[in-house]
Amino acid sequence: MRRVAITGMGAINALGHDAVATWSAMRAGHCAIGPIANIPVDLLNARIAAEVRRFDPLAHFDAKRLALLDRVSQFALVAAREAVAQSGLDFRADGRGERTACIIGTGIGGENTRDEQSRRFYADNNPRVHPLTIVRLMANAPACQITMEYGLTGPAFAVVSACASANHALSQAFEMVRSGKVDFAVGGGSEACITVPTVKAWEAVRVTADDTCRPFCRQRRGMVLGEGAGIFVLEEFEHARRRGATILAEFAGAGMSSDAGDIVLPSADGAARALAAALADARLAPADVGYVNAHGTGTPANDPTETKAIRRVFGAHADALAVSSTKSMHGHALGAAGAIELVAVLGALREGVIPPTANFIDPDPDCDLDYVPNIAREKPLQAALSNSFAFGGLNSVIALRRA
Amino acid sequence: MSSVQQQIFEIIAKEAGIDIGRISLDSTLKELEIQSLDAVQIIFEIEDQFKITLPDRDPNFDTESVKGLVDAVERLVAAKTAAAPATSG
Repeated sequence: MRRVAITGMGAINALGHDAVATWSAMRAGHCAIGPIANIPVDLLNARIAAEVRRFDPLAHFDAKRLALLDRVSQFALVAAREAVAQSGLDFRADGRGERTACIIGTGIGGENTRDEQSRRFYADNNPRVHPLTIVRLMANAPACQITMEYGLTGPAFAVVSACASANHALSQAFEMVRSGKVDFAVGGGSEACITVPTVKAWEAVRVTADDTCRPFCRQRRGMVLGEGAGIFVLEEFEHARRRGATILAEFAGAGMSSDAGDIVLPSADGAARALAAALADARLAPADVGYVNAHGTGTPANDPTETKAIRRVFGAHADALAVSSTKSMHGHALGAAGAIELVAVLGALREGVIPPTANFIDPDPDCDLDYVPNIAREKPLQAALSNSFAFGGLNSVIALRRA
Repeated sequence: MSSVQQQIFEIIAKEAGIDIGRISLDSTLKELEIQSLDAVQIIFEIEDQFKITLPDRDPNFDTESVKGLVDAVERLVAAKTAAAPATSG
């Protein structure tokens, strides 16, 4: 069976404008949640988020190109550029483009564009909608823009599953390379939906925190919104090895399940099935795994449920696991979450350092695993998992093996 | 040069990213190498600025040439002014 290597990594989020800065901040346990600066806050109750700050689109795109790009596509392209550059691959040469898939997850697509055009239409009573509205807001725009940037002419589309979009997209990309349908893939996720009405909508669900994000600890008050993108280059393993590519990790397996339960409340059973499926797909025993990057949103519902699911699947080995939620540092980036979190997993595998769960105060008796509170920990690793458990019970767990 | 014409030249130059010196009344959008998506944005900006609606696919309106655009806009602006209610005394 073919194996899959990750040979390029790119990211942009509240912790930094590239994957290098992102991982460095994660290792340092730096929390990038702070007062909202990009939108007016007067209508908001919780005025905090993990925004991408000081991002100047014109530093990355000329004005003409920029007219076509919602913020979600801008992020996807910035991250894709870093990943593809790192891979050293020229997709336009040797017919590679045709053998490359491009699968990019997003929860909502071009929300800023949709929001602005709606505002003009309803609030300004301006019946003229900008002609580029559709091509900016469509959820496939990030995927399209990446294919156009690199001449990727294989299978390309977006994947949508709320908070699991990126893990699902990465899983699809992985399956396509593993099966031989393609030899390369550009996969990941992007999200940029911090607008006033979107923040109000999240507030209305009553799951957002007003202080910060403290996953798994007793004082946790909910999730904090983030934004950004994570994009990765996947490549058939032997091809990567033969050309002397830097293999960041082996993409070892993917497990997916659906709760078929509640539209918001997670199920330990559904999560456990996805965890077990990922281990089985990667041919990993529980004892092979040293680190789980948790979904860990910091909500009252997720954290104990996820804990139960991990315990059920890992059994006795659960107590030897390091489990951390980097959402404590980069917020919940929704459709980009799994991709930004993959930066954490790759850093952990490559450097033998587990990024911490930041903002941790006191343990919660219902959350009784080792969450690596506040300070990163050195721990050599063979394999790790990364969890995404989305609203509506859509679960996607990916398994990575040290290369 | 009429003000309407100047404004239209400026819009075309900005949206298409071309030097305003290249635009003349005799130019066609094709000659100026303006692609369809740019042309659509030019129409949009003109409509937004003058608060008019340029008709779609109407043989009486030539929106493919710069002269045609200027004529169309001047006609529509004049019609709008004529239709405006007289201010009450």
